[in-house]
Formats: sequence, C-alpha cells, structure tokens
Amino acid sequence: MNIRSLRFCLTAWYAGLLVCVVALFGTAVYFGLERYLEKTVRAALSEQARAVGEEINEQITENRFPSLVKHLNEKFAPHLNARFIRVTDASGTAVYLSKLSSDGLLDPSLVPRVHPEGEEYSTEVFLPNGKRVLVQVVPFSVSGKKYIIEAGSLYAPLEAVLDGLIAIFALGLPVLAAVAIGGGYFLMRRALIQVDEITIQAERISSDNLSARLPVPATGDELERLTLALNRMMSRLEDAFQHINRFSADVSHELRTPLTILRGELEALVHHEDLSPGLLDQIGSALEETERLRTIIDQLLVISRLDAGDVLQKVPLDLGRLALSTAEQMQVVAEEKSIKLSYSAEPGIQVEGDPSRLKQVVVNLLDNAIRYTSEGGSIFVSAGRRNGSAVLTVADNGTGIPPEALSHVFERFYRADKARSRYSGGAGLGLSIVNAICTAHRGEIEVSSAEGVGTTMTVLLPLAKN
Amino acid sequence: MRVLLVEDESKVARFIARGLTEERYAVDTAADGTSGVELATTYHYDIVILDLMLPGLNGTEVLRQIRRKDTSVPVLVLSARDALDDKVGHMELGADDYLTKPFALAELLVRVKVLLRRGPVNRASSLRVGDLELDRITQQVKRGGRRVELTGKEYSLLEYLMANAGRVISRSMIIEHVWDQSFDGASGIVDVYLGRLRSKIDQPFEQKLIRTVRGVGYSISNGDS
Repeated sequence: MNIRSLRFCLTAWYAGLLVCVVALFGTAVYFGLERYLEKTVRAALSEQARAVGEEINEQITENRFPSLVKHLNEKFAPHLNARFIRVTDASGTAVYLSKLSSDGLLDPSLVPRVHPEGEEYSTEVFLPNGKRVLVQVVPFSVSGKKYIIEAGSLYAPLEAVLDGLIAIFALGLPVLAAVAIGGGYFLMRRALIQVDEITIQAERISSDNLSARLPVPATGDELERLTLALNRMMSRLEDAFQHINRFSADVSHELRTPLTILRGELEALVHHEDLSPGLLDQIGSALEETERLRTIIDQLLVISRLDAGDVLQKVPLDLGRLALSTAEQMQVVAEEKSIKLSYSAEPGIQVEGDPSRLKQVVVNLLDNAIRYTSEGGSIFVSAGRRNGSAVLTVADNGTGIPPEALSHVFERFYRADKARSRYSGGAGLGLSIVNAICTAHRGEIEVSSAEGVGTTMTVLLPLAKN
Repeated sequence: MRVLLVEDESKVARFIARGLTEERYAVDTAADGTSGVELATTYHYDIVILDLMLPGLNGTEVLRQIRRKDTSVPVLVLSARDALDDKVGHMELGADDYLTKPFALAELLVRVKVLLRRGPVNRASSLRVGDLELDRITQQVKRGGRRVELTGKEYSLLEYLMANAGRVISRSMIIEHVWDQSFDGASGIVDVYLGRLRSKIDQPFEQKLIRTVRGVGYSISNGDS
C-alpha cells in the first residue's frame, strides 16, 4: 500500500479522528457514569443511615433499647445487601454493628472508624483485604445523647458496571475503526475514480492531437477546476507548439531567398570562361555548401510540417512491396561500397500511409546503413508482422552506435560520430525525418545497436484495418 | 522571345535576368505587383516569371489579374514556400509551372524552355551529342556506332542529360526527374549512377562527353560547344 497516497492519508486522518472522538466520548461517559453511580449509592446510604437514626430514636423513646440490635438486623438486614451499618455513641462504644455480609467480603468489624466533627460527610476506606468501601457518616442525637451512624457499601458492584462499559468500548472501538477505514477507503476511491478518468483522458493527448480537450465534468468543484486548468494549459501548450512550428517554417522560407541569390551569383561565376581551375574549385566548394544549406532547410521544413500535423496523402499500400522496390533501387549504392544488400518481405502487409513518405523512410534508413557500414559489410532489409503491427527492419553489421548516443540518434542535428559523419556529408536530419514520418503515421521507430557489431532500426506501423 | 520577370528581390532579379539575357531573351523586370500587372497587361510577353512574395499586390493576385486579361501566356511561379497545397492552388489559378527557391539557374532555364516549347526538350525521337546517339523509340544507345547496354535508370539519366545537352544539370534536378523526391536524402545515388554511365559511355573513348561541374552538377556536351 502506498502510504503517501491521497487516499491513504485521507482515510487515515478520517479513521484516526473518528477513533479519537469516540475515545474521548467514552472517557467522558465513563467518568460521568462513575460519578452518577457513586452519588446514587451515597444518597441511598445517607437515606438508610437516617432511617436507622429514626428507628433508634423510636426504639429508645419506647424504651426497647436492649432489643435494638436484633430489631435493626431484622428491619434493615444490611448483611444481605452487602452493606454495613455501625452506630457509635459519644464515648466511642459501638451500639450497633451489622453482621458479616452474606458474600463474606464485607466484615464490618474490620472497617476503620472515622470520627467526624459536626455535619454529615462522605468518605471512603479500604479494608485489609483491599476492598474499597464507600462510607456515609451521619451524626445523630437522641434526647441529648449523640450518636454517629456509619453506613457503608462495597465499591465493587460499581466497578463491575464500569468494567462492563470499558469492555463494550474496548470491543467496539476496533470494529468502529475498521468500518471507518473501510468506508473511508471506499468513499475516497469513488471520489478519486473521477480523477483517474481525467488522468486517462489527459494521457491520450500528445503532440499529435494537442487540439483535443478534456471533457469538463459540470460538478462546480475542484475536479471541474482541475479539468479547466488542464485544458487551459493545453491551449497554451498548443499555442507554443504552433508558434515554434510556424517559426521554423518561417525561418526556412526566409532563408531561401538569400540562398537563391548566393547560388545564382556563384553559378553565374562558374560559367565564366576565364577562371583558373583553382578558383573554379573554390566556387564549386561554395556551391556545394549552398546545396547543403538547401537540403537542411528543406528537411527542417519537412519535419516542421510533419510536426504541425501536415495532412499526409494516405492510401492503402503494401509495405513489403514498397520496401523491396526501394531497396532494389538502392542496391547500386550498396554495391558501390561492396556491401551485400539483401531483402525479404512477407506478402500482403497492408498499411495506410503516404507512399512517398514511407519510401523516404526506407531510403533514409538504407542511406544511413550504407554510410555506417564499411566495405564488404552486409545490410538486411525485411518487412513482416509482429503483435498486430507491420514491422520494417533495416539491419547492418556496420560500425554501430555507442550506447551513450543511442537515445539521441533521432534528435535533430545529432551525430553519433561528429568527424566521420560530417565527412560522409549527411545533414544529421535523416533519422529525425524518419522519426517524424513514423509518428505522423501513428507508428514508432526503435533502434538497437552494439558498437562494432551493427545497428538494427525497426519501424512499427499500424496495420490497415479491413 | 520576351520575358517579364516580376521579382522584388533586386539581386535575384539581376541574376535571373542575366541568365536569361545570356540565352538571348529580352527581359523586362518589374519590382512590385502593381507594375507587374501593368506591364503584363500592356505588352505582349512570351512568358512571365512571377515571384509570389511581392510588396503591394501579392503574386497570387498578380497571377489572377494577368489571367483575367490573357489566358494564354505561360506563367512560371517562383516561391520560397513549397507546401504542396500552395503549389496545387497556384496551378489551379493558372500557373503553368512552379519552382521552389533556392533553384539552380540551369533548372529555371530548362523550365522556361519547356514552357516556350522550343529547344532540345521537344520530343525528338532521337538525341545526339557528338558521336553518342540515343533512340527514344527503341531505347537504344550507340556511341561511335557501337551499341551500349544500359539499365533502365542509366538510360533515363542519360536521356535527361542529353535532352538538356550543354546545360549543367544539378543533382536535385536529376533526382526529381529520374527518381522521385523520396530519394532526396540519398544524393549519393546520382553519383553512383553517373559513375556507371561514365564507365559505359566515356571510359572506352578518348573524348569524354560527361563533365562534372563541381557544386553545380553534370552536363553532357560535345566538348567544343
């Protein structure tokens, strides 16, 4: 699980907060209940103490004092209710002491005596066996004689109730947390599905269809704002993209006129009869450079037009046949360098494409292969199908491309080996054009190469549907 | 033959005019669209060479106005743009040919000649340069009376050179006529074929007919001309 994900964070926060709130609530309930129970027990004890006092008063008045103990035992039976009652006179002598409680836990004789001054008050004591006892002390006087009535009760029953409450919370809280996490996770997923959809739509947009826009959900919330912001960003990107394309097209056009002049003037010079051979050679060299400039400008224009989504003249065609006939025409160039050029193609590989552009792909790849294969080498051109795509490969056993250059070979003006390729006369745009043509056909080009072993260029194009 | 050149770049206009004058054409030059239309509609020209990017009236509008008055004069359009639809659009407006800058002067001259339907580009059934003969009907080539066996592409290349004998033909012209634009990236192919053609046509003979003009291209001629 990704602990940095939005879904995890929000779910964790949500569940954590819920558990905290419930725990706080439980604590409040616990202490509230404890207070309430203690208050109720004390009220009952206090009442009983008074009732005992009334009874004593009555017994003394009627002069039945000797049977007082028996009478109180019968009337209140504190030992049966796990309570104790003790009545002490002013001298400290116990006038009445209840019996050992029926469960044997509360032995009244072991309850330490408390001597209050004045009013009734509440206290608690601990028995030698560790039991906590709530005691209500009520002073009482009968016909001038002062008595102290102590009524007590074990704290244990209250504890049992409170323990039950804790047990309920202890069991309930994990269940509650689990439900909160599960529910939160599910709800977050539902909310994030929309984000996922936007992501999928956004992934489909590339430089080929920059004019496409995301469908905007009319939710009036963050998602709508996100989509609108993405759409605006794409508009800006599209503008920038078009600007660059227009710029390189404009530059190419603007360069043509001075180049025309340069070339025209130089050509006119060549036709002069009285030039020395050395001068003619220099002018020829300058003319060669103007020709190279022209080639670069033309190729840049081709690339910028392909990038701008220039409409290709797409027709159904047999890629194998196109590759074979083109390779056949390039055969002579290979032979000139004593390179063995062989080719094979599966029959009937139908693709939708611009024939002259695709031919250019084969020509440029072959030109490149011939350029970087030394005399006596071999080149193999093949066309076939793989995983539902049309595949064109041009493989040579030439010098190969160094690994650090491999990812750059389709970049404009990139040269793997600067000195040698300049000598070979390429402009460094051949593979960029191939790449641009492949992209314009919704295909792609792959390169694999090992230095000293050779290079394989693989073009993948979508097969024609029929 | 009278040529109207409508071109605002004075340097381009100058070298085109010079090239045409050397070929014994009479050249009038207009430096903007308005005067171009004025000249074209006032005088009779055998051909109009029209640049598309002009101040004032642009080339497209000039072409439209010329065509309104005169439907027959051949118009060769020069442009720094080579977008295909641009080309098609102007052909539909009545341009007869379209040449993209930068061009070789030789190519311009060849195209002018084609448009004027004169010179060696006409479809003569046989071409001859010195003792080299090419029969367009049987597609046979003879030098000094002896048969020379050529492959298809070698024949096309030789025919193109001989049809423009005496002119320097650039590599890109050869690629465009003998192959197609797809081979632009592999200009080495022209040199290879030229080398083969030379070994068959020239090598066995003392007089070399095919000449390389460095930086410009190739030409075939009888030497003395």
